[in-house]
Amino acid sequence: MITASPNPPDPTATPIKQTERPHPLTPLVRGWLILVAIAIGWGREIVPGGAGENQFGAGGLTWLLLVLAVVVLLAAIAGFITWYFTRFVIDDEELRIESGAIFKKSTKIPFERVQSVDIVQPLAARIVGLAELRLDAGNSTTKLRYLSRGKASRLRDYLLTRAHGQQASIRDLDQQAAASVFTDLGVADRSLVRVLPQRLIVSFLLSTEWLVPAAITIIILVVTAALAAMPYALGGLIPLLIGMLTLVWRRVIGMFNFTLAESPRGLRVTRGLTNLTSQSVPIDRIQGVKTSQPLLWKPLGWYRVDVDILGYGHDDSDNNESNASSVLLPVADLAEVELAVGRALPGFDLDAIELHPAPRRARWLRWFDFWTLRYGWDDRTLITEHGWLTHSRDVIPHAKTQSVRIEQGPVQRRLRLADVHVHTPRGPVNAVAHQLDERAARELALSQLDRARAARAAERQQRRVDVARTDDHRGEAELLAAFGIGRDQPLGSGGESEVFAIDHDRVLRLYRDRHEAPRQTAAQLQALYQSWSDSDIGLELPLIIELGELNGRFFTVDRRFSGRNFSGWLQHGDMTQRRAALITFLDATERLQHLRSPVPGFARLVGDGAPQQFGTLVELLSNMLTGPTQSSRDQLERDVPHVAEVWNQLHAALAQRSVAPAVVHGDVCPPNAYLSQGPEGPVVTGIADFSPHTVHADPLMDVAGALIFLELEPYADAAADAAWLEAVAVERHGPEIVGWIDVYRRFYGFYFSNAYAFDRTLYAWCLRQLGRSGGSQ
Amino acid sequence: MQILTTLIVPPIIFTIPAVIVGVVSGKWWISGLIWAVALVIVIIRLTFVTRSWRSWGYVEREDDLYITHGVMFRSLIAVPYGRMQLVEVESGPLERAFALATVTLKTASPETGARIPGLTPEEATRLRDRLTELGEAHASGL
Repeated sequence: MITASPNPPDPTATPIKQTERPHPLTPLVRGWLILVAIAIGWGREIVPGGAGENQFGAGGLTWLLLVLAVVVLLAAIAGFITWYFTRFVIDDEELRIESGAIFKKSTKIPFERVQSVDIVQPLAARIVGLAELRLDAGNSTTKLRYLSRGKASRLRDYLLTRAHGQQASIRDLDQQAAASVFTDLGVADRSLVRVLPQRLIVSFLLSTEWLVPAAITIIILVVTAALAAMPYALGGLIPLLIGMLTLVWRRVIGMFNFTLAESPRGLRVTRGLTNLTSQSVPIDRIQGVKTSQPLLWKPLGWYRVDVDILGYGHDDSDNNESNASSVLLPVADLAEVELAVGRALPGFDLDAIELHPAPRRARWLRWFDFWTLRYGWDDRTLITEHGWLTHSRDVIPHAKTQSVRIEQGPVQRRLRLADVHVHTPRGPVNAVAHQLDERAARELALSQLDRARAARAAERQQRRVDVARTDDHRGEAELLAAFGIGRDQPLGSGGESEVFAIDHDRVLRLYRDRHEAPRQTAAQLQALYQSWSDSDIGLELPLIIELGELNGRFFTVDRRFSGRNFSGWLQHGDMTQRRAALITFLDATERLQHLRSPVPGFARLVGDGAPQQFGTLVELLSNMLTGPTQSSRDQLERDVPHVAEVWNQLHAALAQRSVAPAVVHGDVCPPNAYLSQGPEGPVVTGIADFSPHTVHADPLMDVAGALIFLELEPYADAAADAAWLEAVAVERHGPEIVGWIDVYRRFYGFYFSNAYAFDRTLYAWCLRQLGRSGGSQ
Repeated sequence: MQILTTLIVPPIIFTIPAVIVGVVSGKWWISGLIWAVALVIVIIRLTFVTRSWRSWGYVEREDDLYITHGVMFRSLIAVPYGRMQLVEVESGPLERAFALATVTLKTASPETGARIPGLTPEEATRLRDRLTELGEAHASGL
């Protein structure tokens, strides 16, 4: 019961919570470490001085050994007591560590507060197969030592799962295979970059931070040897040598076998020759990335990558190589660097950022490296570069900017230059744009704050969506089990729901929790589909067979469409086939307008308060735009020049449109269409997913939608196909629709612009729609 | 406050070598020379101190606080309210003697180093309360 039992305790047999002690070998390992520490301490005292030896006679040595024995004994007793009184519980409910013989201390850490879990194995612990679990929560680090290696890695996986807010049972993890002795990679981890020992050593020998002290040492040795004054220089040389040894220890021994891996919970770094450290790198806590290249690495194309991780900077002072470190890659080639940086800053396009050099007059001040000074930014990151002996490039996401400072010294003022410092939390990354033109500096600094604010707002929004997304899966497993389907049979998923196949004729549509009023929408759609069930427009239309709710999740059972999804097919078809099918897609779209509307006049057919009738087309459409643009307004004002003008033009144009209303699907895009094999090739035979976008309005809206949404398809020639389809539509309906298609481009550009918060591709598309309309009308 | 240090510090620093030189060599005119140098420095610094004092400034803007200072080395620092973690009001013994206080803003970055010295205690507390309030209103995670 005391030791870490290999079998999970039977839950029914132990109603009282079982606490565990760390591994019984713990005091031994800790005692050993203390012994080593004492030996090193004494060694340092005795060896450099050398003078003390005469004072110790034979009696002195006996005393020394005696004192040593007593100290070791005391340490062993202390170690035993600490071990004996340390108990911990990590189970499905809580994470609690109790320690202290006289002063009892109980630490309970909420799972959500755990920010990272590292495993550290000092040499002595490693030999006997033990590991220390290091929990980083808030500003404090809690250590749990020592556990058996397998248990430590299982607990780490479990805690990280819980830390991400997911439910898991600790018993599920017990079956996992133990990690390897040398790399400590879990089963689910995928190795991204491995640093080979020879490359690590060569890169170290060529690095500026090694060569400079080495050169100084050699120069001192040569000069003093020539002057026969070596003994006098020893006082200076010894600290230098100690410094160099520490460097070898940190950069070579500590980084040995460096592996960067991708685990389901972010990145993970394992490293170390004697002490094996396994450290998780939480991506959302990365504050910046620094890529540096010492001069001599340049011909080899090697780089070093460091990251600022929030909260990791605090241990800087105590120079312990087993502490969490900020190194993402000690040495790597360009491809590996791009891979790692891509993982550390996901979704950032760093190559697209244009870098500006410092003005030429900066050479008077920075004669030693003025040609290396660069800076640049886009809407998400700031990049600065500087340095010749070691060239470094600092990348900071705007959302992590803390504050901004402009500095200008007297000489700089004469030269009209200034530095801009962008501050981030403690760490190796230091973004300083050196020696900019005064005006550029001012603009950079002041606009940086705006960019930071916008980026933070976008990030907050994103987080809200992410939270909503994890909530979406609540109760899903039970629901799927009730229908006898597995998670592995999804047919597709959209913003509102996920779809699973039940059998050949039916699908289960599972609405997302955050989707507003799915019950109401689904009931309205059911009635709408029912009213169309007898009309034959030569198209398969959706039908809702059943509405229901289980475990708080709302679902419908829908009729399954025959044929296959058009979007998936488009990506593989060749051009002739594709274009033939696209014609039938346009035909299908045009047929939709023959559907009966439940109400006359312009109206919203689905959604809150529907059917909601409007007097004119422009009233209806501007009502549709109100919701989405309310949330995206600020973003659009930043991203679209003259957005107010575009908005007014759109409304003016819509006010002039006179047309008899017809049913408009509102979102006819290939993912909502189904394709079957006809006698003359593939034909679009079904249109699915009517939604709150569905209205009774201008029939041209769907024709325009069919071609402009096609641009969003993820295959290479989508834009070309869309342009071609537009030409076909113009041929059918006359040249006057060109202008109206442009009007609806702008309409849909505004209508979907709230996508900036959750779908960047869609938002970029919106901006294109709004941008291209500027010149045409 | 700065005027005071300007007045006191150089004479003290220069007096020590002056006295030592005087005592050791007995040539007290050298000490006089050293004192004269100290006086010149005090005068130069006095002219600068008003400029330096005037160079400190701060603006409360809608979303951030700007602080400028420096005569020779100028700097402008902008701290968004949402990033402030801590607002401190400090007043050392000398400052207290002249009824002055310093407001320091801390963010998650140690480099921020935003301080506004030489405020009256009322202004300092007002600024602190105001900034804390704004910080809460704009608060955002890291």
